[in-house]
Amino acid sequence: MSSTITKLNAPLTQAFDFQPSSELQFTPTFNTLTQRLADFDTLTSALEYAADGITGYNFYDAKGNLRSVLPYSELRDNARTLAQRLYSFDLPRGSRVAIIADTSAEFVELFFACRYAGLVPFAMPIPVNLGSHAIYVQQLKGMLESSQASIALANIDYINFLQEAVERVESIRWVGTPGKLSELPAVRLELQSNHPDEIAYLQFTSGSTRTPRGVVITERALMCNLQGIVRNGLEIRPGDRSASWLPFYHDMGLVGLVLAPMVTQLSVDYLATRDFAIRPLQWLRLISRNRCTVAFSQPFGLKLCTLRARETDLKELDLSCWRAAGIGAEMIRPETLRNFAEKFASAGFDESAFLPCYGLAESTLAVTFSKIGTGCKSIQVDSKTLIDKKMAARLQADGRKQNEFVNCGRPLPGHTVKIVDEDGEQLSEMMVGSVLVHGDSLMTGYYNNPEETDRALKSGNWLDTGDIGFLLGGDLFITGRRTDVIIVNGRNIRAQDIEELAEQQPEVRSREASAFGVDSEDGTTTIVLVIECRLTSMTERQSLTIRLQQFVYMAFGVNCVVELVPPHTLPRTSSGKLSRFAAKQGYIQRTNLAGQLSFVESGDR
Amino acid sequence: MTENNYNEIMKLLCDRLEGVSNSNVQITSETNIISQLSIDSIKLLNLIMEIEDTFDISIPINALTDVQTVRELADLVYKIKSAS
Repeated sequence: MSSTITKLNAPLTQAFDFQPSSELQFTPTFNTLTQRLADFDTLTSALEYAADGITGYNFYDAKGNLRSVLPYSELRDNARTLAQRLYSFDLPRGSRVAIIADTSAEFVELFFACRYAGLVPFAMPIPVNLGSHAIYVQQLKGMLESSQASIALANIDYINFLQEAVERVESIRWVGTPGKLSELPAVRLELQSNHPDEIAYLQFTSGSTRTPRGVVITERALMCNLQGIVRNGLEIRPGDRSASWLPFYHDMGLVGLVLAPMVTQLSVDYLATRDFAIRPLQWLRLISRNRCTVAFSQPFGLKLCTLRARETDLKELDLSCWRAAGIGAEMIRPETLRNFAEKFASAGFDESAFLPCYGLAESTLAVTFSKIGTGCKSIQVDSKTLIDKKMAARLQADGRKQNEFVNCGRPLPGHTVKIVDEDGEQLSEMMVGSVLVHGDSLMTGYYNNPEETDRALKSGNWLDTGDIGFLLGGDLFITGRRTDVIIVNGRNIRAQDIEELAEQQPEVRSREASAFGVDSEDGTTTIVLVIECRLTSMTERQSLTIRLQQFVYMAFGVNCVVELVPPHTLPRTSSGKLSRFAAKQGYIQRTNLAGQLSFVESGDR
Repeated sequence: MTENNYNEIMKLLCDRLEGVSNSNVQITSETNIISQLSIDSIKLLNLIMEIEDTFDISIPINALTDVQTVRELADLVYKIKSAS
């Protein structure tokens, strides 16, 4: 597409903003290469192939102007050079390299440089919350220690945080910016090719400072998952183009919208997550202007777009090109999709583009995909049967209380999903239980964390996803998460991480804090933190409450309700463990929130 | 940038925060945005967008990590505006 056409397609305001002096030209949609769909051994061999074409990554600023372009050919060259600089550290193969993952060309170059040098990269988050400085540094430190990282990198905006975080982390050999790395000598050693059994990257799944969990994904698992995604999930074809605002430090952002396009030689247009969050319509403008066909979001992202769009915005958008609107990463409520489709129908959005899917970082990214081009399918089931019998029964008569669940589709080829009860016995169709996954995309474990690994990977290499659902005709329906994950405004927060934060207060003893989410009728979730408290003075109690709310906000960017209760109020299991499920029941009874307790949760993992 | 601009920034912040906060707290420069006002992430993003549009600046995300009070936010906006 020539820049003239781009200009014509651009909304009026941006057409004026367009600077003719800028020489930047985005990478084209159509390639000069024959498309290959992830049939590679390793990431670097995939990049070597993509580098022979003319497609690549494009980065846009908050106003929608193109800021930098990284064709795969340039990515390959830069990554190889950087790999030779990384050789100068003389690290053993498989050493870990931590990178704070801003949405930038530098991050992608460093990521691939690590793979060329036989090192294992992992993406660390950028700080997003007000006043989060100290807690953010603690979180970085937790990941650096857990991964035993040798090198840590951040760009100029985040290097200060990183420098604070590496203090007293003994494994760290070097910390700096990409610019600093480029000043190091390149060691002219021949780059070795990688083996499919080697680790491709780590993916951290929790903001916990005490027990971070770094998912270990091999090259083989990664390519297996990518193949499933691009061939079966998305049916990628020439002419596809992606647009994404998803953070590079999340599995969906990294695997789904950085690696999947590369292994199919597609061009991608990126918007920084922060810029999307503030002006969500910029993402839709990118899709419209560049005629993108594949773009993913959490339901929360769609909600933001729906909230913000005005009539004038709709007139300037043409979303008819968008054939795969992937939805994942949190529970999908059908209303969210309906509202979005209704709002953007006049802008050409076709609701059959909705592509609900289910997955998690422990299975690289994807587990199931619904059939592409058919839109969001859901089922209405009887609420009472669901609670009483843990069974999904189709709604027989009108007027009965019902729940609607989204069809997340079938497992990717080579993968199996089964539903089990609390004793691990397989359940039949329509019965609600824990969702277990088996297949070649699974992680080998959590890095350096055998306890958590044993908890997640059951015998026969079945991954316990921690989610609850049922199967119907081979399709998976997720009905809820277990009580150990709370999702607020699109963020997954582990209950354990909140409790840990509370226990760091001198007034709170270990195992005397319980955190859970309470849903309201309109689907919003509030975090409740119940603390067993011995303080009697009102001032001290108030001080603790305010401090806890402040810490939770700084760490997770969400508000929470703090309830102080007398000692021995929180229910414990026979082994003395706190039961969040029972704690929530107790809270609901105390506060008279009738009908709030949902059937979708079963005990704690 | 002058003293007037700073006061203008402070006034806008106080007005806006009063509008989005659920509590009846009287907002001053010393109000702690995190602990005294219950502002969720969506409201915060709206506020940032409004500040950016009003003053024609871009607030870097890393700078917000050291902001807790209204004064700290006003100082940050003033600093960015002065540098631009």
